[in-house]
Amino acid sequence: MLVLNHVDSFYDRSHILHDVSLDIPEGKVTAVLGRNGTGKTTLLKTLMGLTDRMNGEIRLGEADLGNQPTFRRARAGIAYVPQGREIIPDFTIRDNILMGSFARSDGKREIPKLVSELFPYLMNNLDRNGGVLSGGQQQQLAIARALAADPKIILLDEPNEGIQPSIVEEIETVIMRLNREVGLTVVLVEQNVSFARQAAHRFAMMEKGRVVAAGEIGNLTDEMVHRHMAV
Amino acid sequence: MLEVLFIGLSLGSILLLVALGLAITYGAMGVINMAHGEMVMVGAYVTVLSGIYLGANVFIAIPLAFIVTALLGLLIERVVVRRLYGRLLDTLLATWGIAILIQQAVRLEFGLSFFGIHIAGLGPGLQNVSVPEILQGTLSIGAAEINRYRAFIIIVTAILAVLTWLIIYRTSIGMQVRAIIRNPKMAAACGIDVTRVNALTFAFGSGLAGVAGVMMSGFKTVFPDMGTSMVVDGFLVVVMGGVGSLLGSVLSAGILGEINGLVAAATNDILARAVVFGVVIAIIVLKPKGLFALKGR
Repeated sequence: MLVLNHVDSFYDRSHILHDVSLDIPEGKVTAVLGRNGTGKTTLLKTLMGLTDRMNGEIRLGEADLGNQPTFRRARAGIAYVPQGREIIPDFTIRDNILMGSFARSDGKREIPKLVSELFPYLMNNLDRNGGVLSGGQQQQLAIARALAADPKIILLDEPNEGIQPSIVEEIETVIMRLNREVGLTVVLVEQNVSFARQAAHRFAMMEKGRVVAAGEIGNLTDEMVHRHMAV
Repeated sequence: MLEVLFIGLSLGSILLLVALGLAITYGAMGVINMAHGEMVMVGAYVTVLSGIYLGANVFIAIPLAFIVTALLGLLIERVVVRRLYGRLLDTLLATWGIAILIQQAVRLEFGLSFFGIHIAGLGPGLQNVSVPEILQGTLSIGAAEINRYRAFIIIVTAILAVLTWLIIYRTSIGMQVRAIIRNPKMAAACGIDVTRVNALTFAFGSGLAGVAGVMMSGFKTVFPDMGTSMVVDGFLVVVMGGVGSLLGSVLSAGILGEINGLVAAATNDILARAVVFGVVIAIIVLKPKGLFALKGR
């Protein structure tokens, strides 16, 4: 569904992604693995058009997104949950969620039913500021904002990083439900191999800005994990 | 005393109209628009010229000047500023250049004191706009005599400030502007067309400055350099109020206007300006982010 063909990506003059080709199939969870600094976050940012420059081809279904500005990619159906969540602290929870709806193709500005099912806590506190939420709640809010776009595909950048352990499981359950019940295509950047094995259908292993291995998650061997992820 | 406070309030009102535009463009786009003062000047000239050619009074000049300066702002954004996002110093230089261009173009066409040859009968007398009768003279409120024109300035500013507030805080486009001010990349990733919203914001801010020019033309001489000091004053307001905070701009415009009015009444204009600068410096030293800084950026 989402296809990258020979993609290079740059910040200023630094060449970060080298010749990345990847096929992200519809309705599946694809885990992007690798150590810190291997280009996982840059891969997601490149998909969103948030790096300074890129070459190569990015296709979502029939649409060629490689030359499109960020907002067009969002409107084409890619939603982004960045590392650090980047919710807006002095917006209310309602406004933070509705911000995502600017990417909706039908122009409606509403909180989808799915969000109220998944995150009852947010729905009960819509008028509080986003900044007062805990890390885990902010992560939920960032996911809710992405869902407000009614996306085809959702990019999650280390959704469990810096979150209290009690909430991690909740977030993991949400991610599983988004794929298994709602049928969303998910790209998941993850450091936690056991969760990746549990959630993902496919994986892509990154090293030095390249994809060094990719395939069915069953083919992700311990040896591979040890070679590319052990610190 | 009340009269003096009133004069201060009217000075602050014009400052606010100039500063609102700067506050939004600087806050949302990180662009220091040195040509903003020229919008004030163009607005004043629109008032003069529409008076001559259309027989229009100040009331008609307000929407006219808004439209003209907003379109001019849109043009500047499209042609120059759009290419320079994220390059603060470059925008400063480029817009300064635009400011000089506009100034000199106006000077070429109309002359420093309106001795232009293109317009028959245009003499120095036309530097001033005649104010409609209803706005001349004074109003008595209790013991105080209030200048009607200054009251008019304050009312127009209040209406425009409330309108701006409603647009920014109560409409969809306003929410997009606020999102861009706080996090432009995330705003784009949420499907907001940052380029388009920025262009509209720039045009709107320019339009407000144009209206400030209409107000000024009623009690000040209209000449090509009149906007230069306005952009400086406008930035003082923005910096003192806190970048990106409308409330901060409103309060600091009021405070600076009053200080200016009070000190000028007690001593003279020159000293008043010195005191205004002193106050701004003191506030920046004590609160580097301004009175109402946005949190978390």
